[in-house]
Amino acid sequence: MPLVTRLGRCATCLDALGLLALAGVLWFAFAWQLLLHELPCPLCLLQRAAFAMAGVGLLLNLRFGVRPLHYGIAVLSSLAGLVASGRQVLLHIAPGNPGFGSPFMGLHFYTWALITFFALLAYCGVMLLTDRVDDRPQPRPLGFLARLAVLAFLAILAVNALSTTLECGLGPCPDNPTDYLWLRWL
Amino acid sequence: MVMMLPFVTVLLSAWFAWRGSRAGAVGWWLATLAIFVAWCFYHMTSHLDISL
Repeated sequence: MPLVTRLGRCATCLDALGLLALAGVLWFAFAWQLLLHELPCPLCLLQRAAFAMAGVGLLLNLRFGVRPLHYGIAVLSSLAGLVASGRQVLLHIAPGNPGFGSPFMGLHFYTWALITFFALLAYCGVMLLTDRVDDRPQPRPLGFLARLAVLAFLAILAVNALSTTLECGLGPCPDNPTDYLWLRWL
Repeated sequence: MVMMLPFVTVLLSAWFAWRGSRAGAVGWWLATLAIFVAWCFYHMTSHLDISL
């Protein structure tokens, strides 16, 4: 059996793992924010939003079956994330620039984000090569792994919405935030 | 620019997907994309310090 056909049969499992990985990325960034007290800048927040948007595409695949539209959502979201992370890489690319935030395993988070968005694009490309299209986009029950991924994803989206509101209030964020705007009053 | 707005709209999109409304999920995702593009213009149009 060709490899692409085998991949197509595993699409739901792979999408669940992909969504779990995206949720993991967002949870890790949030844990880093809390533990090191490094608040995300506006571009960092845009990259988090792009991860969340890409996750919606994979979530739709899990809930309604595999469709090109869902991969299209993940592809466009990854492109949006590439623009934001690429812009931040270019902002700090000049020699002598220390970059924004602490590095993780030698690379800053925006560089990791750039690599991850590339990987997500490649993943979507490979999955589209399998040419799998499920019959009707109807809601379907989720398996254990998919349910776990979706719950972790929904939870971190809610946490990010709350955290960003605490950090920036109902306005724009400063370029180099140092504290939570809505916690100054406590 | 309300920075928390795309997080609220993408949360709504994911919530609609979870609840079984595909049209709602795609609609809120499109709204998030539009906000994302608008925020990109706001945050990414200053000059880059990369030319010698």
